[in-house]
Amino acid sequence: MLEALEGSQAIARAVALCRPDVVAAYPITPQTHIVEALSRLVAQGDMKTEFVSVESEFSAASVVLGAAAAGTRAYTATASQGVLLMAEVLFNIAGLRVPLVMTVANRAVSAPLSIWNDHSDSMAVRDSGWIQLHCADNQEAVDTTIQAFRITQETELPVMVCMDGFVLTHTFEPIDLPTQDAIDGWLPPLEFSRKLDPGDPKSLGTLVSPDFFAEVRHSHHAAMTKALSVIGEVDEAWSALTGRSCGGLLEVSGDPAARIGILAMGSTCGTIQTGMEHAAGEVGSARLIKLRAFRPFPADALRAACEGLDHLIVIDRAISPGLGGVVGTEVAATLADVPGAPRIHNHALGLGGRDIPETIYADLMATVTDPDSPAFSVFDADMEKLDPEDR
Amino acid sequence: MSTEGQDAARLAELRQKFGREPLPPREGEAEQSPRDAQPRFRGLESGHRACQGCGEALAARLVMECAGPDVMIANATGCLEVFTTAWPQSAWRVPWVHSLFENAAAVASGMEAAMKAKGRNTKVLAFGGDGGTYDIGFQALSGMLERYHNVLYVCFDNEAYMNTGIQRSSSTPHAATTTTSPAGKERMGKRHLKKDLLSIIAAHHIPFAASASVAYAADLQRKVRYAMGVDGPTFLVVHSPCPLGWRHASAMTIEVARRAVECGLFPLVEIERGAVTNVMPIRDVRPVTDYLSLQGRFAHLMKDADSRAAEERAHLQALADYNIEVFGLRGDSPDAADTTGTAVVGRSGRPAGRI
Amino acid sequence: MTVLTRGAYAGPGTSLDFKTGNWRSTEKPAHIHAKAPCHAACPAGEDQQAWFAKLQEGHAEDAWRELVSANPLPAITGRVCPHPCETACNRVAVEGALAIHNVERWLGDEAMRRNWAYPVTEPAEDAPDVAIVGAGPGGVSAAYHCLRHGLRATLYETAPEAGGLLRSAIPRTRLPRETIDAELARVLGLPGITLHTRARLGRDVTIDELKRKHAAVLLAPGCQEGKEWSVDGAVPADLHEGLHLLKEFMDHGAVPEAKNVIVHGGGNTAMDLCRIMKRSGAETVTLITASVLPGPDADPSDVINVVPRELEEALEEGVEVIEHATINRLIMKGSQVCGAEIQSLRKLPGQDGRSRRVGFEGTERVINVDMVIPCIGERVDPEGLNGLVDHGYLRPSDRFGRLAEERVLALGDARGDRGTVADAIGDGRLAVSAVAAQLAGESDPPADARGEMPSGGLNLGYYEGISRAVAPKLAVADRTFDKEIEGDIGRAAVMAEAERCMACGNCLACDNCWTFCPDNAVIKTEELAVDGSHYLFDMDFCKGCGICAHECPTGFIQMLPEEAGG
Repeated sequence: MLEALEGSQAIARAVALCRPDVVAAYPITPQTHIVEALSRLVAQGDMKTEFVSVESEFSAASVVLGAAAAGTRAYTATASQGVLLMAEVLFNIAGLRVPLVMTVANRAVSAPLSIWNDHSDSMAVRDSGWIQLHCADNQEAVDTTIQAFRITQETELPVMVCMDGFVLTHTFEPIDLPTQDAIDGWLPPLEFSRKLDPGDPKSLGTLVSPDFFAEVRHSHHAAMTKALSVIGEVDEAWSALTGRSCGGLLEVSGDPAARIGILAMGSTCGTIQTGMEHAAGEVGSARLIKLRAFRPFPADALRAACEGLDHLIVIDRAISPGLGGVVGTEVAATLADVPGAPRIHNHALGLGGRDIPETIYADLMATVTDPDSPAFSVFDADMEKLDPEDR
Repeated sequence: MSTEGQDAARLAELRQKFGREPLPPREGEAEQSPRDAQPRFRGLESGHRACQGCGEALAARLVMECAGPDVMIANATGCLEVFTTAWPQSAWRVPWVHSLFENAAAVASGMEAAMKAKGRNTKVLAFGGDGGTYDIGFQALSGMLERYHNVLYVCFDNEAYMNTGIQRSSSTPHAATTTTSPAGKERMGKRHLKKDLLSIIAAHHIPFAASASVAYAADLQRKVRYAMGVDGPTFLVVHSPCPLGWRHASAMTIEVARRAVECGLFPLVEIERGAVTNVMPIRDVRPVTDYLSLQGRFAHLMKDADSRAAEERAHLQALADYNIEVFGLRGDSPDAADTTGTAVVGRSGRPAGRI
Repeated sequence: MTVLTRGAYAGPGTSLDFKTGNWRSTEKPAHIHAKAPCHAACPAGEDQQAWFAKLQEGHAEDAWRELVSANPLPAITGRVCPHPCETACNRVAVEGALAIHNVERWLGDEAMRRNWAYPVTEPAEDAPDVAIVGAGPGGVSAAYHCLRHGLRATLYETAPEAGGLLRSAIPRTRLPRETIDAELARVLGLPGITLHTRARLGRDVTIDELKRKHAAVLLAPGCQEGKEWSVDGAVPADLHEGLHLLKEFMDHGAVPEAKNVIVHGGGNTAMDLCRIMKRSGAETVTLITASVLPGPDADPSDVINVVPRELEEALEEGVEVIEHATINRLIMKGSQVCGAEIQSLRKLPGQDGRSRRVGFEGTERVINVDMVIPCIGERVDPEGLNGLVDHGYLRPSDRFGRLAEERVLALGDARGDRGTVADAIGDGRLAVSAVAAQLAGESDPPADARGEMPSGGLNLGYYEGISRAVAPKLAVADRTFDKEIEGDIGRAAVMAEAERCMACGNCLACDNCWTFCPDNAVIKTEELAVDGSHYLFDMDFCKGCGICAHECPTGFIQMLPEEAGG
């Protein structure tokens, strides 16, 4: 049954369906509505969970780490500065291989201060060892959140569900929330084999010498690689339950015969889709690639998705100053050894909440034919607004 | 027939009737070694890699003995964590997790929330050094106390960052030298005072906050047992000498800790709901120099030729006097359990003077 | 091959695979069973510390049994011994020595009240029989120790009853007759001991005869003859030699009248006579002694050799003492003494390094007296001793008391260098141990070579100040010739006193080592370990920090060089 829900409310309801034992969170825009909604559910008795109102994101992450290590299902949510304050704990959670789900309401990172959306925050913890799944719309965010609890149980890798701040979190959409019974049947109870248990006391978080540290990191990488298939399988299982798929690792749409592709993550995918629907007649149609799993990075799926393309426009919602786009660079690296690989056009777009209009589709398509088009640009930056020295 | 004979005969008769042969070891089960037969819980086992005479290893062992097996521990980064869990070995016999330096209280909060969610009574403990408690982990600790988690937080206070090689912390005493507060022409060791953490903790209005010392094991264990029984946040700071960092002989760990209490520089107090409810009075107050002179970190204060040394000694004496006055530490109670006499020993572990 | 665990978790207690024992560099802890100073000082060979340990456990009878393993007469020694154990007691460094003699006395009395059985059994009918000449404390001790070694004992006593000098030379105010009678009767009544009274050596029995009939002959005749005493040739017609005067008093209950009395000497007989004369009505009684009264500056080897509390009581009663002095000459009026010239002296090292007493010219002074009692010691009556007496005494060649004649040993006062009941009791024990070993074809029992634990070896911080028990005492005005002056401290005080024992050099089972080992390397055992403690060091894990040794209250744990054995 469809309900008109704000993205944050929908996420809170989805989390509640997964019956987490412990939720800990610290308020930060634009994640606030999620924790407020969860608090209300707890206050009204609609959700039986230990809600821990911590004094910082650092403690939020630490509390859910402790709860997960103790063998319970735990959840947290944050954004922007919160992700960075958590950074040390996020690496630690992944290294301990405890099951956790966290929503990141993606937002730019200060300074300068910006409360608006881009992907700088989750990109900053790209190498923390978490699974990172990006959601294109609120239904996908709901579905991915529930899937994340199953993925993390199966892989013992923590899962970060990334959704664009404001664009998704504060937007009302018609949402189909599964029933509690359906989720209870679909999401098995958490059985964490290494949980802290006085009956079988293990020591977690040991000191590992150089003799074994390489093996630790290798095993983590191997686990992430194996998670690729788990993410796909869980999405298929979800599809079997609800009839909806989130696209697995990535989803290809648009014109399959097109020679130009556009790759994006998150809500930008919808903007591009709409732009193409309006402008295809004038500038031609493109193959659209929605990258859902950023970590683990689906290299094989990406190579297959890019087959036959001459040009691939990669949209980044963050920037690695001095390099360019992170996604663009990784895509280029992935396709580098593919014969006849498309030329990569990497553009950072919509940083710090800059609106991405539908017309962006036509503008992006135009760069493909422009021989002077740079390999990377902050596409929507207006040079006129800068002192010449700073251009 | 003497009464003793009658008793023996009766006893033999009862044994015959009701007595049982001790069970043989179960199949495949080795006979119990003397180590396994210890009449105390060995929560922290031998084979850990603490330095010789480590006060912290001792303090943690004493805490574990009376905390018992039905606990789980969140341990901050530090010596205790490093020397107990060099993979693949662990000296712990209870579920234990080390996450980071500054989050032991928060991790413990999560573990406690998990136990609550599961309806279990397993008590959660958090362990940290003074660096992880007074300094970097202070915020998480304050949050834990404010949220009223049922956690016993134990701070093993060795008054500097020992794990990284003896750097000053906010717990380092005034005038002590560390590698980041050395003595020289311009400085006499640490310029600032030891942070009065216990008062800050007590200001959270928690049910129980106390200081203890490895030199007074019975007192320390009594405080742990009391805290274990409280349903709410409790805090214990345990003075734990570090032979390497304080530069004293490894055999002197207890002596040094004892003198810290006896001179008044480390008062043993109990605070409930913000109010001091108990102190350990000192029978014979020692001068602070009795304490300082055992330790290399105060060696620069023992140079008679240096007038600054005399001034700093006087300053530390004044700080000790202040503690004695503020907490009313001067006492001569005949009750051994109520004074520094608590360390008095007797045959078979029983304190002397009582039968 | 060790295989990585997911997230690098570790199993419980797996650190036991990591043996930290090899971190020890120079020293390791060891249990060193040193002698407690009380034990080392006891002439009777008692281990006071051991029986105080039983009292600390609350077992009075066990304590008494431990006590009588060395000394069968605690009710007697508890009253008369000058208790060098108390002088040696390390507790002096805390707040005063233990009241050992009061506790010993209580145990002895309690054993009689409750009729506790001596821990001996009757020797076999055909067990070797040892002859013992003299049934004083030394002879009785020897007889008792015969039973402990499975030997029979036959005592030959000149007097009509056993007791020796206990009866003849110790006033009832110190040692009531009832105590002597009761305690001696209990020992002498033990099966295996035969007592022949009125059997005088040389007249009724001879050493040769005894040697024929018995496995060995122990001579404990005591000293019956006063030493010749003269001062510059002057000897008063009515000279009262100390020991004889005392015997006279013990037999008849009276002494000759005198107004101003000088007692010359420095032992318990002198002290007893001072007090008897004073109580009999003498106006002044002055003890002239070459020794010095105990005090902070007194050289311990020069201190007057009397029971300290006797001296204290004598001074209370008005006896005067001139220390570091001697009598140069007597001033006679006819054959009666009317004055004595006193001279100060000191014990000083001579050219040969040996100390001697040197009188100082110009310190002579005269005091008026009408009676002088020399108490300068006695010597052995040589009758029947086959010429074994050498310069007044039986002088054995070893600590067991062996004399020139085969199977004949000497013990007690007759050895000349003894002087206390406890010495005689210890001699009896030692002599019998040698006889028993010889009969069994074994070599002599080895001497206890253990070191003594000084107070510096203790950690005094672990002992609480508890004041010493104070025994009730008759007020000076109430003191008579018959009533015992010092009273019983009672069970409660005895148990409290026991708590004061610091168990020097012995395991107190206090758990300190077990409690304070940071490495869990001290293992507590239910069974008593071979070294007498309940603790083992797990050398697999001991890092050698030394905390256990420093925190051992009694000095029982010491750090030894790593390469040492044990």
